Amino acid sequence: MSDTPNYVGQAILRREDDYLLRGQGRFIDDLPTPGDTLHLGFVLSPHAHARILGVDGSQALALDGVTAVLVGDDLAKLVQAPFAEIEFPGYHVHGRDVIARQIVRFVGETVAVVVARSPYLAQDAIELVEVEYDPLPACADLESATSPDAPQVHDDIPNNTIFKGDFTTPDFEAAFEGAEHVIRERFRSGRVGGVPLEPRGCLALPEHGDGLVFYSSTQVPHLLRTALARFMEHPESRIRVIVPEVGGGFGTKAQIYPEEFIAAALALKYRRPVKWIQDRREELLTDIHARDHIYDVEIAFNGEGIVQALRADITTNAGAYSSLPFGCTLETTGGARMIVGPYRITNYTYNARAVATHTAPSGAYRGVAQPSCFMAIEGLMDRIARQLSLDPAAVRLANMVPTAELPWTNVVGVRYDTGSFMESLQRAMEMIDYEGFRKRQPADRLVDGKYRGIGIASFTEVSGTGAPGWRARGLVRMPGFDSGIVTVEPTGKITAYVSHAHAGQGHYTTFAQVVADALGADFEDVTIVEGDTATTPYGTNTFASRSAVTGGGALIRAATKVREKMRRIAAHVLETASEDIVIEAGRAHVAGVPEHGLSFLEIAETAYSMNNHTLPDGDGYGLEETDFYDPPLVTMANATHIVEVAVDADDGRVRIENYAVVHDCGRLINPMIVDGQIHGGAAQGIGEALMEEFVYDGEGQLQNASLLDYLLPTSEDVPMFKVEHIESPSIDTVGGFKGVGEGGLIGAVPAVLNAVGDALAGLDININVKPLRPTLLGNLIREARRDRL
Amino acid sequence: MKPAPFSFCAPGDLAGVLEALAANGEDGRILAGGQSLVPLMNLRLVRPEMLISINRCSELDYLRLEGDSLVCGALVRQARAEESDLVQEECPLLAMALPYVGGQANRNRGTICGSLAHGDPLAELSAAALVLDGEMRIAARDGQRTVAAEDFFLDGLTTALQPGEMLAAVAFQRQGGDERSAFLEMGNREHGFAVAAVATRLGMVGGRCEFARIAMLGAGPTARRIRAAEEILTDSEVDDAAIERAVTAAHDIIEAPSDLHADGEFRRHVLTTLLERALRQAMAGE
Amino acid sequence: MPEKIEVTLTINGETRRGLAEPRLLLADFLRHELGLMGAHIGCEHGVCGACTILIDGRTARSCLHFAVALDGAVIDTVEGLAGPDELHPIQEAFHQNHALQCGYCTSGFLLTTLEFLRRNPDPDEDEIRRALTNNLCRCTGYTNIVKAVAEAAAALRAAD
Repeated sequence: MSDTPNYVGQAILRREDDYLLRGQGRFIDDLPTPGDTLHLGFVLSPHAHARILGVDGSQALALDGVTAVLVGDDLAKLVQAPFAEIEFPGYHVHGRDVIARQIVRFVGETVAVVVARSPYLAQDAIELVEVEYDPLPACADLESATSPDAPQVHDDIPNNTIFKGDFTTPDFEAAFEGAEHVIRERFRSGRVGGVPLEPRGCLALPEHGDGLVFYSSTQVPHLLRTALARFMEHPESRIRVIVPEVGGGFGTKAQIYPEEFIAAALALKYRRPVKWIQDRREELLTDIHARDHIYDVEIAFNGEGIVQALRADITTNAGAYSSLPFGCTLETTGGARMIVGPYRITNYTYNARAVATHTAPSGAYRGVAQPSCFMAIEGLMDRIARQLSLDPAAVRLANMVPTAELPWTNVVGVRYDTGSFMESLQRAMEMIDYEGFRKRQPADRLVDGKYRGIGIASFTEVSGTGAPGWRARGLVRMPGFDSGIVTVEPTGKITAYVSHAHAGQGHYTTFAQVVADALGADFEDVTIVEGDTATTPYGTNTFASRSAVTGGGALIRAATKVREKMRRIAAHVLETASEDIVIEAGRAHVAGVPEHGLSFLEIAETAYSMNNHTLPDGDGYGLEETDFYDPPLVTMANATHIVEVAVDADDGRVRIENYAVVHDCGRLINPMIVDGQIHGGAAQGIGEALMEEFVYDGEGQLQNASLLDYLLPTSEDVPMFKVEHIESPSIDTVGGFKGVGEGGLIGAVPAVLNAVGDALAGLDININVKPLRPTLLGNLIREARRDRL
Repeated sequence: MKPAPFSFCAPGDLAGVLEALAANGEDGRILAGGQSLVPLMNLRLVRPEMLISINRCSELDYLRLEGDSLVCGALVRQARAEESDLVQEECPLLAMALPYVGGQANRNRGTICGSLAHGDPLAELSAAALVLDGEMRIAARDGQRTVAAEDFFLDGLTTALQPGEMLAAVAFQRQGGDERSAFLEMGNREHGFAVAAVATRLGMVGGRCEFARIAMLGAGPTARRIRAAEEILTDSEVDDAAIERAVTAAHDIIEAPSDLHADGEFRRHVLTTLLERALRQAMAGE
Repeated sequence: MPEKIEVTLTINGETRRGLAEPRLLLADFLRHELGLMGAHIGCEHGVCGACTILIDGRTARSCLHFAVALDGAVIDTVEGLAGPDELHPIQEAFHQNHALQCGYCTSGFLLTTLEFLRRNPDPDEDEIRRALTNNLCRCTGYTNIVKAVAEAAAALRAAD
């Protein structure tokens, strides 16, 4: 990285915008589809748990334009049951047939695939496939799933407990017993999903015999390619995965789904293009869900509100299967490992379990575990304050790790290299005039007929996880690194290939900023290529707030190598020492003598042997370098959100009146884009806190598989977000970047809950669940008022 | 999520539409704006054999006064009614209810009669039709009949329309004299589908309420009049005491269903709150 | 299977013809018969607004219309907004304010804004939020979209 960045840190407008604004973004369903394409339709189980007695596709096959109806046994010949490769004590590894064979385990599981000439015909055919089921008792409810008489989801997983883990510090019991005060609470986190505006889809095009070009609306092209190769036993080198424009991912599209295997396998089987575009109902029924957690927590503290010990008992709903590639413990171990947040909590114990139920598989959705674990710890901070009549901000400040004590290694061994825990809280308090709000706030919280409260969430945000971080959580085949290739072309323009894939994050802009600075190039000369396994180097891809850290780091390393080579070539041509060469603004010149230099074009022509210069001894042709970057365990960002809410006493509706964020993701690449990430995450968090929830009934039927019934926040439900930044560059990562993708969501959930809890504190209403829908709050308020009469 | 196959026709006049309806019986459905029907067709919850578009029947696209009524033909789109001076002046209650119907893009296409004929239990226009003493003008090949709005909504998604019939127009009572109106709605989002709504219309003469119309959404299986509350306000001053009595009376007869979006008890509480607010807002003349 | 019917539409000022079976949704007709991919399908039940286009000058959900029922209609889509060299002022305001991320919902927001600002050229923040409330965006949190609409309104007023 050059010492004086020209582009990193600048709010450069996005390159992506022009084509997207013109309606020229090419998403999966916008790609040209060959005339002989076969369209897939999936027959979904209407039962949460049933034995499949028979599938009769004859009526569907009789329909003109329907070429095949295939069942689980047919696909099993083409694809092994994929399984998440987790090696973790207490984890039951299990596979999932891409089409169910004997038993269905959630509503929406595929029982057959139809192959037809058009998507309309595929829908017609789906209706004509007759499936005979023997319904079995289902277990959809997390609270009862581990009881001895609960229906079993998998015969070989006793008590539906897919995973169990624990941890304790040596002095925990003594610290806990010795504390003056203990608060116990159960926090219940409702089930939500990413619900990107674009559902999933794929287009599989056979080429050159057994080759396959596979377009997918995915966040993980390289992981997908490896999984396709591995579970179809097809040479990886014969598969090329291309990610078109993706209409939002949020982790949902970082999973590898059965439909992708089916489409790939059938394209190879029929030697014809195969396409599938998911519809919204399928998206809501079958994409991974998240949250659905129970946190039973106890916190021990002294009279000053200083935490002495924390005990957490965490239960997460895994759904019916471990999803690929993360398995079902990301939220289980994640919450257990992240709950201590920015606080100096040294005595800690947890028990954590992931429980199978007859519901959609769980997986990685923006925020992974952190909205729940910070709902718990931040809720506890407020409860300590209320019990001791202290201000909630003061309790937090008293428990935070001060910046002067960083680097700090937390109780589970995660290093916080730099950060601004106290400073971000203090600055957010200033932004929102926290003290003024507290002074104005009456004891009963009623202002103009509404309960008004303020809520804080201070938190750490796991990002940029490296290989050690994945190993620590049992994901043995999750690489951790990402990679970049930086090429200066013969004309002096730059192409940088990176192992990521965007879904709206603006990588074409931000990575170009990074490369331009690392190379000393003009931003306009840098083009980013990603999302294509044939052209980009291998990597772990795009999820869990990693691109800036891992992609940025890899590109800097590759660009630095190219820069060094350019420096050597320039020195050789200019007959000086390479230490004397400065590269900036697309030119290499002798230090102090700007006119004595070479353009990138002239250096490139030398490198590509297009002029009469020779190369320095030891350097070969070309100007292209590859490098990899595997960050440390994790890269820890931090932030504080503070929210003011008004709760309507009669209809129980929550209005967000003011919202301030101070975020620290280390070195900022593009503040405009970082702000956008925070806005979007915070809106999703407001949705999660106030309205979003997948509701299953006792039989495991999803009650709200439409956007009429699964409510997403709209422009009227969210405020103008005010965002500021503190930059504490990471000292552990190349480039100093930390991730930012998830923080907005992570902070919003506890901040909104705490604000509502504060608003209703005058009524002694305990806020320990989400979402806080009007019916819940309205009833709580009415009961509390009735009790007071 | 694609509709099942169907045949399509778009007759140029009402007679042709009614002929097509008669010919297809239960298998025929009218397509006006499609904002209620097409989502259900995409989900294959509704699958007509023959879809009969009335969009070429310009004779159904009228909004006019007939005596004491404002009559709205089957092709009048909600947005057009919302923007119409006639509606603002003659039926302000309807003008208050319309902005709550779907979004702008839905109202641009959806028709007043289409929403009523669909019979969604939480459709704002059904409450408006009740308080405006709506007269539903039903046409069929073999004749016409009228049904009072109150007898039209039978159950969720079930109306008095028989196979072969269509709702050709709705006549709303003009709001003359010193009338006070309010329409209030509450949903789980700032804007979205109603959990509960209240429409009120008070005819005032010399400080007393000569007649009252109150309808609620979410107080039963369809939109319904709340007569017990109307009776308390009728021939009375609409003061705090009367409002309180009306609200109490309403509270006692609301049979609010529980569903995913709200439990019945909460709905009942919200409805009484909305009623109180609506009565006060109507009297304040806002 | 019912016969395909010829449909003629005026799209972005051009006369376009195509064959459609009665059940073909306008969104699919525009996208897959005519190759206009700018309107996206997000829910097919009229909630998300990603498929918003203009019919006879007013916004409509292209997933809630059958192409055959619109024979003769005037349709405007996002593809008709910009010239080859410059963006429409609304598009430019979205660009300047980072009011799009993945871009999937964007064409719907642009056309909703176009209609809204014709009706209300000088809106306040609450009016903007109400006007956008039937278009879902999962990326931006709406803050920058609201800013962009306000800025577009000012730009369009200045241009008048």
